[in-house]
Amino acid sequence: MPLVCPDGAVVAYAWKRQLAGQAGASAVDRTRLALKAFTDQKRRFFPHLEDEVLNHLHDGESGIAKRPRMPAGNGELEEKTLSEILKNLENEVPNMKISTYRRLDWSKRASSLASLMDDDFVDPSKELNLQNMGKLRPGSVTTPIDQVAVIELLVPSIFRVVVSLHPAGSVDPDAVAFFSPTEGGSYLHARGLSVHHVFKHVTEHADKALQYFISVEPSKALSMLLRWIADYQTLFAKLCSKCRRLLLMDKSLALLLPPVHRPYHQISSIGSDHQEAYHIGCSSYDA
Amino acid sequence: SHIAQPGGPHPVKTRESRHRRRPSSPALHRPAAMAPAKWLMHWHPNPGVTLNTQILSEACGCAESLGGTKDGRWKTSIIFYRPMTRDGAGGAQQNLPPDVPRELLGVALHERPGLYFSILRNQRLVLQADAAFSQVMEKLQSFKARVNLNFEGFQYQLGDFCLRIGKCVPNNTETLRGIMMEVEYYPLSSIEKSRAIMVDFFDIWQETLAKKSLPGRFIHVESNFAEYGLSDHYSFQHTAVQYATCLQQLMAAVRA
Repeated sequence: MPLVCPDGAVVAYAWKRQLAGQAGASAVDRTRLALKAFTDQKRRFFPHLEDEVLNHLHDGESGIAKRPRMPAGNGELEEKTLSEILKNLENEVPNMKISTYRRLDWSKRASSLASLMDDDFVDPSKELNLQNMGKLRPGSVTTPIDQVAVIELLVPSIFRVVVSLHPAGSVDPDAVAFFSPTEGGSYLHARGLSVHHVFKHVTEHADKALQYFISVEPSKALSMLLRWIADYQTLFAKLCSKCRRLLLMDKSLALLLPPVHRPYHQISSIGSDHQEAYHIGCSSYDA
Repeated sequence: SHIAQPGGPHPVKTRESRHRRRPSSPALHRPAAMAPAKWLMHWHPNPGVTLNTQILSEACGCAESLGGTKDGRWKTSIIFYRPMTRDGAGGAQQNLPPDVPRELLGVALHERPGLYFSILRNQRLVLQADAAFSQVMEKLQSFKARVNLNFEGFQYQLGDFCLRIGKCVPNNTETLRGIMMEVEYYPLSSIEKSRAIMVDFFDIWQETLAKKSLPGRFIHVESNFAEYGLSDHYSFQHTAVQYATCLQQLMAAVRA
């Protein structure tokens, strides 16, 4: 709440006023005061949010909430933190580029993708640069792990997936959407929808997969979701496990589509090579 | 793991409660530089069979039977230029110095009316230029337009595919020189990654067309993009090169 000083000045941050007279205050002092002020405000206005992360900071540890790692009975890797999940995924799926963003930073990137794609005079022999220019902001380097609200998974020339985390810095995904790597614009977010039919249908299926993962094992939902997404790199190559074709005319939709369904029941949180794929009509799932 | 927010518990995200923006068809939102992967196919008539426009209408009927909706016309033009020699005839090719190309192709693509692509086939060069190029060529008189071909017809949207079926006619005539098809797959720009999809589409197309028992078939001839210095990312230059490749086939088929 703004503080009104005796002289009538309105100070948004009381702690700044306190320091104003202390020219010699060090950076550490300022930071400590700022942190205390913010923590107090947080406790006052958002009492339901946990203080766990900040408590650790007070203890002098890093900002990541650390819990002891215990291997599960079936030998699976226990991944409890966001950075662990992302690091393991990077090792398991090296051709998928993982980037992390604050929510606002992602909005900016999505819009910048539109103008990158729109340049009329891009020399096609240098179009590979478009892929690289788009990654001038390697979000995973500059976004602190406790502020990550958006995860971008890019398999070049195949798909771009946007996953939203809520709250930021948690391992709780709440939305997912698939797009073509050629798409750009403000509609590119975890609750948006691609202009292409194939990605629209994968997104619809991904919605269900996400709800399933959350309902079955909330603590593992993100890691299962990300690995399930990674399997879609074969979207335009893998034949349907039932009819053994790639492209099939879906009679009810009147659309030619590759197998857009990949099963999400009973998969382990470790990626497997033999994931099956089905056309919508060949799938045993109901729509 | 759901944390209560001020104002109520975390809303359950069901499919119905999501408000996803649904942009309209890709035909309206196509970004400029990231051109979708495209295959060009041309009609190869059976030996001894002459071309006729019935094939064109049957092909259009097939597009519609696959669920295609007609949404406009298209026209691409190709001009053959031959170098002018000093005597003005433009015909005595053997008197030309060896580094002068024997032939220049100018391609005006329907999807980029402001651009003009010139191709030197033997040198494997493709150049993107402004549409004023053809006027400049005319003024310079170093190359003279010999043959002017138009590829024109109807365009169909088939979900994530776009089909353009058209006839090849020399400018200002009605003589049918060939029948052509463009197939675009909007979601992908990579030639390599879209190959399996394109092959499958081609098979489905052939199956559908075979029911009409037409005297010939569509074929796709691979262009060697790498020779022209083009990358795996599809672009208008790629289309210009495919037209040049197709033309060779069409001319050969017509002469036969």
